[in-house]
This record gives sequence, structure tokens and C-alpha cells, in this order.
Amino acid sequence: MASEALQPNVGKKPKKRESQLLQTTRKLLKNKLAVFGLIVILLQMIMAVTAPWIVSYTPIEQSLSDAELGIGSEGHWLGTDNYGRDMWSRLVYGARVSLLVGVTSVVIGLAGGITLGLLAGYYKKLDGLIMRIVDLLFAFPGILLAMLIIAMLGTSLINVVIAISIWSIPGCARIVRGSVLSVKKQEYVLAMRSMGASDIRIILKHILPNCTAPIIVFATMRMATSILSTSALSFLGLGAQPPTPEWGAMIAAGQDFMWSSPHMTIVPGIAIMLVVFAFNVVGDGLRDALDPNMDFNN
Amino acid sequence: MVSLIVRRFFQLILLLIGISFLVFMSMHIAPGDPASIIGGPTASASDLEAIRESLGLNKPVLVQYVDYLSGILQGDLGYSFQTNQSVADAIMTRFPNTLNLAIASMIVAIIIGVTAGIISAVKQNSWFDVSSTTIALAGISIPNFWLGTMLILLFSVTLQWLPVGGLNAPFYTVEGIKQLILPAITLGTGSAAMIARMSRSTMLEVIRADYIRTAKAKGVRQRGVIWIHALRNAMIPVITVIGVNFGALLGGTIITEQVFAINGVGRLMIDAIAARDFPVVQATVLLVAALFVLVNLIVDIIYALIDPRISYD
Amino acid sequence: MKKKITFYLLVLLLAFVAGCSSSSGSDSESAGASNVPQELTYATTSDAVGLSPIDTNDSVSSNVIAQVYETLFTRNPETMEIEPLLAESYETPDENTWEIKLKEGIKFQDGTDFNAEAVKYTFDQFMDEERAAPRASLLAPVESVEVKDEYTVVIKTTEPYGPLLAALSHTNASIVSPTADKEGDINSEPVGTGPFVFEEWAEGDHITLMKNEDYWQGEPSLETVTLKVVPEYSTAVSMLETGEVQFLDKIPAEHLSRIESMSDVEVQTKPGTPVYYLGFNMEKEPFNDPEFRKAVAYAVDRQAYVDQLNGLGVKNDSIIGPKVFGYDESAKDAGYPYDVEKAKQIIEENGFTGQKVTLLASNSGSYMKMAEIVQSQLTEVGIDAEIESMEWGTFLDTTSEGNFEMTFMGWTNSTADGSELLYPNLHSDNIGSSNRMRYSNEEFDALVDESRTLVDQEARQKKLQEANKIAMEDAVWIPMNHDVVSAAYDKSVKGLELDPTGEWKLYNVTRE
Repeated sequence: MASEALQPNVGKKPKKRESQLLQTTRKLLKNKLAVFGLIVILLQMIMAVTAPWIVSYTPIEQSLSDAELGIGSEGHWLGTDNYGRDMWSRLVYGARVSLLVGVTSVVIGLAGGITLGLLAGYYKKLDGLIMRIVDLLFAFPGILLAMLIIAMLGTSLINVVIAISIWSIPGCARIVRGSVLSVKKQEYVLAMRSMGASDIRIILKHILPNCTAPIIVFATMRMATSILSTSALSFLGLGAQPPTPEWGAMIAAGQDFMWSSPHMTIVPGIAIMLVVFAFNVVGDGLRDALDPNMDFNN
Repeated sequence: MVSLIVRRFFQLILLLIGISFLVFMSMHIAPGDPASIIGGPTASASDLEAIRESLGLNKPVLVQYVDYLSGILQGDLGYSFQTNQSVADAIMTRFPNTLNLAIASMIVAIIIGVTAGIISAVKQNSWFDVSSTTIALAGISIPNFWLGTMLILLFSVTLQWLPVGGLNAPFYTVEGIKQLILPAITLGTGSAAMIARMSRSTMLEVIRADYIRTAKAKGVRQRGVIWIHALRNAMIPVITVIGVNFGALLGGTIITEQVFAINGVGRLMIDAIAARDFPVVQATVLLVAALFVLVNLIVDIIYALIDPRISYD
Repeated sequence: MKKKITFYLLVLLLAFVAGCSSSSGSDSESAGASNVPQELTYATTSDAVGLSPIDTNDSVSSNVIAQVYETLFTRNPETMEIEPLLAESYETPDENTWEIKLKEGIKFQDGTDFNAEAVKYTFDQFMDEERAAPRASLLAPVESVEVKDEYTVVIKTTEPYGPLLAALSHTNASIVSPTADKEGDINSEPVGTGPFVFEEWAEGDHITLMKNEDYWQGEPSLETVTLKVVPEYSTAVSMLETGEVQFLDKIPAEHLSRIESMSDVEVQTKPGTPVYYLGFNMEKEPFNDPEFRKAVAYAVDRQAYVDQLNGLGVKNDSIIGPKVFGYDESAKDAGYPYDVEKAKQIIEENGFTGQKVTLLASNSGSYMKMAEIVQSQLTEVGIDAEIESMEWGTFLDTTSEGNFEMTFMGWTNSTADGSELLYPNLHSDNIGSSNRMRYSNEEFDALVDESRTLVDQEARQKKLQEANKIAMEDAVWIPMNHDVVSAAYDKSVKGLELDPTGEWKLYNVTRE
């Protein structure tokens, strides 16, 4: 019965949120930096999806006799690396890898963080325990946490994803918990509770939607951090396994060739910078557009 | 205030025990045997067994953990598997370097961040604002190992202004400062960008706030208004960033120390993880975690002092 | 107003930076003058583990140990002959007895006399199970070390042990001061008879050595030697360029062109004893099938790999390399040559097409490079290869337990004796520890045993050559390259001579 009584309320919500969506989009599109970021992200997505059609070599095809060709060489407009692999092809396939790593680790991290945050925020009894665990994770510098996890699981891209996901959990949990705490006290939630709506229903239908804004901003910014962290792990030799065209691994490998073939490190370096920058400005723009007073750091 | 400190202190101890357990177990679960690293590729099976026994690695893991914990309670951090030297000594010789690096990069971050943030806020939407916001965002987008190598190339190899690496002169000497500049910039860039963003947005809020308008209306000169009223308020986010970022900063020292050949705790930590030098990994991780928690406690205290509205129930 | 402030700040910053630059400029000028300080700084990518020859077994530690301590015998880097160092001469009254006469009048750096007691003490410690010396296997066949008189020791072995002199010339078999070892920790405060005296070890940062003014062969010219830890090789190269360090070794191929382009830097290279190989786990399918290993051998273009090394490696099919005792010139090209067609044919005939294999490689040194090239070449002939990388420590553990399919490794051959290569790596006695490929071949074992028990060097050579051929035929190792050892140093450094094992001694080095 209680749920029927709530129908009108629920029915109203999407409409309200749609207009908010429009409003946010309009604000976002006014922000030149954010638009630039969106374009970069879009380009990366296009590269990732169309990879096989826009390159003429596979990213792992070696040709030792054509090693270290510079930018603008015939057949390899971005040159080749020390194994004669086409840099353009590696760059394009690398876009795929970095999106894949970013998205999966953020999604897993969010799943964990949201669950913990919701539980901690909604159930006072669980709050203490969960937040202590979150504090525990928080007290490790992220890169150290990732190193320990990789030491335990072994070096592979999947384990990097797991490590970075776990690293995202505490930040996300804190943000979600904070939003839950503020939403929980609002009258309509209190009303629903008194009407006997189930906890799960309240959490999923009413509390979670109200946390979406900070979560979206967090996720966008987190994409940037994930891509950077993957590259840092690759620099320490703990990232993707060769010959995977991962940008961070490409930079790390290219640093040894800084003098003979600077393009090997500059090309992927610029790619990472652009993409991370793009996610950061879009996140920043989203925050301004959604709620300028949103206050958090991950 | 006192009860806050006492409570946090107990939390800290519990947290450290939790962390020590996690790290201890993860190192023992991780593949890789310290004995085979010490023995090297030539060690025979009996050599390895002898090494394991001398390290106490043949006891059950839980017994080892309890031994370790009771050692710590007696102030004994144990001995490195690799060098057989006291872990406390190993950390004490390196910790000053890491601390210098962390503080220097925080100073760099605060100077650049606060200046840029305030100017951007005062001259909102000016070319300075737009470009500093862009640069700030670019700053947190650069992989810092890459930035480090680029800085070495430019300032040390090409221009020969600053030394390439190492950190052994005391920080108060000219040589020491020169050695710190590049690593501090490398490590501080990310935090600088964050501080710039935070202080810009709080400054904007403060400037728009009523009391500033009132002050302006009363005819106090604009510059005075900004520096006196606004700065104190802008300090709060800066302190937050320091607290939150301190962990990331300590993590960042791992890579910065690697690139600039600085003998610090970060490097001790990666070397120890790679060599499965359990006692060293334990102690360094505990140290870093304790530092992080302590810094955040201090941040909370400063908070409470600056802004009496904040209370900790 | 604001603009002015920023401007002043900028000026200040520039002035500061300019100040720094001018001071460093004057530094280098004074260094350019004729009176060069007799100091040498060497950069190493990792710190020493310890400074006691008994308790360590890694190349960085050996670099320090070789300056502070000395061995009874030493291998002449030119002739590769073993010559006495702390020893005067030796005799072998019977095949299990070695009577070694020692030089007289030598003192350890702490004033302790060098004599037969010291030698006995050192080797007893070396073989003591409690002490768990990582390199104890060097003296495994030794039964006892006895003092005959003040300057004569008698070493008795349980069975004839041909490579004893080679073992005694190993850095880890250096003689330590018994007083220092009993009263203190020579692992942190080493005391030997060598030309340099230990001064300071700032762990993780640097080790400083000073000249030994009372060195028995006359004092060295270098006043101080510093080993500086610089984890990133590219940082070390930059430091060599700016003069912060004067000496690097083990140059990775990718840094060679940059180093060679520096006008004030000299590069020394020399064919060396280390060998790098691709090996198979002989206890796993299909790697235990000689046909599979042959197919891989045909498929891997070692020349193409060696070309990537820019001259810092040579191709040679022999497992025992050209600088190692037991090498046979005729083995040079006796391996399975690069032949894609043949590889494909074998793969097809035996149904290996699409065979999934994992190439295990440690993420240090050139192993990843080998893995990347081999992976691509195997893909070309229809083998589905994947790379798995590990940190060195995990790698050692995993391979000694036999948890791999194919892997890349190297062997330094620090005694430059073929027995010390074939016995630990390929003799069935050592399966489960250093025989990582788990190779077991009775005929091969017998030959290696003989090479160890014969005392006649010529007969030993023959046995080693035969054993080498068998292992090559079995294709248990496919040698990727034999090393060319290398060093880069400032032009002011004179008299540096690399040993084919890659080790070096600074006794004859001066700066001009």
C-alpha cells in the first residue's frame, strides 16, 4: 500500500531530473575546457572502437629491420618503436586498453564504494565498522596498496585493475556516505520510513538517485586517476604485460630511448596527458554544473 | 580537544594493528621466498633451508606474526632479511630525506597553489585565471615519473643549473636546496594544482560574502580586505588538501625517489617489497600509515583552532 | 600592482637559478684544472646487500668486496689463466689434497696477520652450516682445511675436485680478517687485505672506501672511491654526463648510443663470460619433447636479437661461451640455425600448431627484451606464446620450484670455468634448486662429474666440450647471446680494466 501512495511522488521525480539533466548539459557546454575534454574523450572512444580499421599494422607486429623509425616515416606516420612496431597502431590500441582499464576499475571501485557507503550511511550500526575499514584502506598511499596487491596476485593487467579498483573504494565510500547522511534526514525519507517502506526500496529508489551527482563527478575524476596510476605501475614494472600496447608501459619503455628516439616516450606521454586532462576538466565542469558547492577530495 | 586526541590515539593504535596484520599476511601469501633471493640463483636446496631457518621463516605464519607484534610492543622492529641490519636504523637514516622531500614539495605546492588560486579568484575570468586553471588541471594530468625525467633533461643535462640526483647535503645549505628543487617540483605539482583549485573557489566564496562587501563599503582599501579577511578563510581548504594529499604525497615519494636517486623511505619500501624483506616492508608501511593518520589528526586540530564552528562529537 | 609582484617574483627566481648555474660552472672549471682529485664515484642501480664475502652472493656486493678483500688465487683477465694472489704457490701431493703456500708478511687492514690460520678460519666459516653462506656450494667437495705451518694450508677434498682453483679465485672465497669477524660484523664493516679500506656505508645511498696506505703491493693512487646508488639507469647516465659520477658499468644496449655521444666519456667493451639463454622446463609437455625444442630453436632468430644489443652481445650457439674454460670453437655454429620453414614443418608434423606456451621472464635486465622478440617470432611459426613477467625474487623462487614452461635466464660464470656452469645449471643433482630446467641426462651427468673430479686441466676441457655438445643437441638451453661486458667512464679515469666476468678492480686506476 505504502508504495502505491508514493507513486505520484516517484512519477514526478524523473521529470524534474530530466530538466536538471538538460540544465547541467547546457552549463557544461558553456564551459570551453569541458567541451574540449568531451571532444578528447569522444575521440579516444572512436579510436578504441574503430581501432582495427584505422591502422595498417597490428600493434604487436614486429619488424626489427624497421626499428626506431622517426615521426613522419613512410608507412609509419608516428614512427616505430625499438622493435619496429607501428607507433600509431600502438597508440590507437592503447586507447582501447586505457579506456578498458579505466572503466572497469572505476566500475568495480564504484560498486564496492557505493555499497559500503550506502550501508555505512544508512545503518548506524554498521557505520563504525565500515568506516574503520575504509580508514584502514585510506591510510595506505594508493600506489603502495596497489604494489602490495600486485605482489600478492602477480603482475598482469587484470591485477592492476583489481588493485586500482580497491584503491578507489575508500574515496567513493566516504562521498556516498556523506550524501546518504544528508539525504537520510530529509523529510520525505523519514516519511517513507514511517510508512514502512523497505530499506532496500528506500535506498535504491530514493537515496541512491540523490547521490548520483557526486558519484558521477567522482567517477569522471577517478577515470583520470586510474589511467595515471596504471601508467605509474607500468613505470615500476608492475603493469601490463608486453607486448600489450599500454600507454604507461610505452612511456616507461620509451624512456630508455629518450636520446635516440624521443617520440617513443613523447607520443604516449602526450596521449596520457590529453586523456587524463580531458577527464579532469570534464569532471571539474560537471561539478560546477551540478553543484558548485560540492566539496570533496578523493 | 584532549578527549579528541586521546580517542584518535587509540584509533591509531587499532588501525596500526589492523594494517600490520594485513601487510604481514599479504607478504606471506605473496609468491616469492626471501631465502631464494638471499641465496641467489646458485643456492642449493640445503642452502635455502639453512637460510630459511636462520630467518625464522619455517615457523607457522601466525606464530611469526605474534612474535613480530610482541617485538614491536617492546620497541623492536626486527632485522632486515637482506642486510641483517636493524630496521629502525634503516628507516632512521632514510626518513629525514623523505621528510625533507615531502615538506619541500608541500612548500612548493602551497606557494604556487595559494598564489595562483588567490590571483585567479581576485581576477576572476582574466587571462591569468583561465590559464592558471588550465595549467593547474594539466599539472595533475602529467605522470610524475615522466615530468621528473623531463625536468632532469632540461635543467640538469641541458642547462646544467641543478644536480641530476641524490639528496645528501643538509636541506639548509645551498647545495641541499639545489638538490631538492627538481624533486620537490616533480612531487609538488599535483598538490599545487589541487590547492590552486581549492583556494580559488573558497576565495571566490569569501569575496562574495557579506562581511567583505561590508568592509569594502566601509572604504577599507581593497588589497587590505583581501589579505586580512580572505586569506585566513582560504587557509582552511589548503589545510584540508594538505591532510588529504599527504598520503598521496608519501606514495608519490616512491616514484620521485626512484627517478632522482634519493635514498628515502619510499625507495626502501619498493626495494623491500621486491626482495620480500618482510620486516622492512612491515615497518615502512606502518610508518607511512601512522604518519598519514597523525597528519590528519593535526589537520583536524588546526581546523578546530581556526574555525570554532567545527566540532567533533 | 599584482603584475609587478609576479614580475619581481620571477626576477628573484631567475636570479636564484642564475646564481646556482654560475656556481656550478666554476665547480667544473676547477675540476678541469691539472690537479684532479684522486676520487672516483661509481653509480650502481641497487645497493650492496652486505660487505662480507661469506654472507653475500650478488654482483653489487661483489664490486665492493673485490676492492676490500682478496682471494688466494685470481684469474688473469688477459690470459684467463689462474694465478696466485694471496697464495704463493700450490702442490697436489694426491688428487684429494691441495697444499697451498701463502705469501708472507701481509697484514689485514686491522693489523691482523694474514696467515694459514686466517685462511682456515675463513673457509671453515664459509662451510659452516649455521652461518648458511649463500655460496657454500663453491667449497662443497672440501672435507677439511688444515694449517700445516704458519704459511701453509692443506685443503682436503672428499673426491677429486678439478675446479678448486677456480672456486678459490671467486670473489666470495675472499679471505677475511678472523679478528674482525669474531669481534664485529664484517657484513657492515668489512676488513680484508685489499687496496681499499672501508670508510662508510650510508645504506641505500652510498658506500665510501679510502685508500689502504699499507697495501702490500704499494698504495693505490685513488684516495677515495664512492659507490653511489642510482636506481634509474637513465638518471645515472645523466649524472655521468654532468660529472656527478665518473664510472658506470653493465651498460644497457639502449643507453649505449647516448653514452657514446658524450665527448668526455670513454666506453670500454670486452667479450665476457656471462651467457643468456632461453630454456625449457624438461618435466612438462610438450617441452620435454626434443622435437618441440628443436622447432623453437629453428624459430628463434638469435642474430636479430643480438643485433638489437648494439654490439653489447655476440651470437654463439655454444652453451659454454668463448671466454669460459671448456669452450670449443667448433660448437659456435653447431646449434639449430634460424630456419622458419623447418620450424613450421616440425610444428605441423608433430601437431604443435596453436600450442599455447607461457614465456616467463623477470622484469629486470634484458629479459623482457628477449621475451618480446621471441614471443613475436614464435607467433610467426604458429606457436601461441604469452609473456608473464615477475620481479626477480619471485622469479627465482618460481623457476626453482619448476612452475614455468619456457623462461629466460643468464649465468655470469664468475669463475669462468665450464664445470661451474654445467654442474649447477644442468646436472641432475641440482634439480629443485639451481638446475631450473630440470634437465636430466645420464651421459651428460657422467661427463660433468668427470670434468669436476679430474685434476688434469686438458682432460677436463675435453669432458666439458663433450658435455656441452650433448646439451646443445638436446636444445635444453638456446643461448640468446654471450655477453660483451661494458663500462663507461669519464676520460680523466685511466687504468680501468674490465674482467671478462664484468667485475673490475680499482687498484691501478688513476685520474688525470
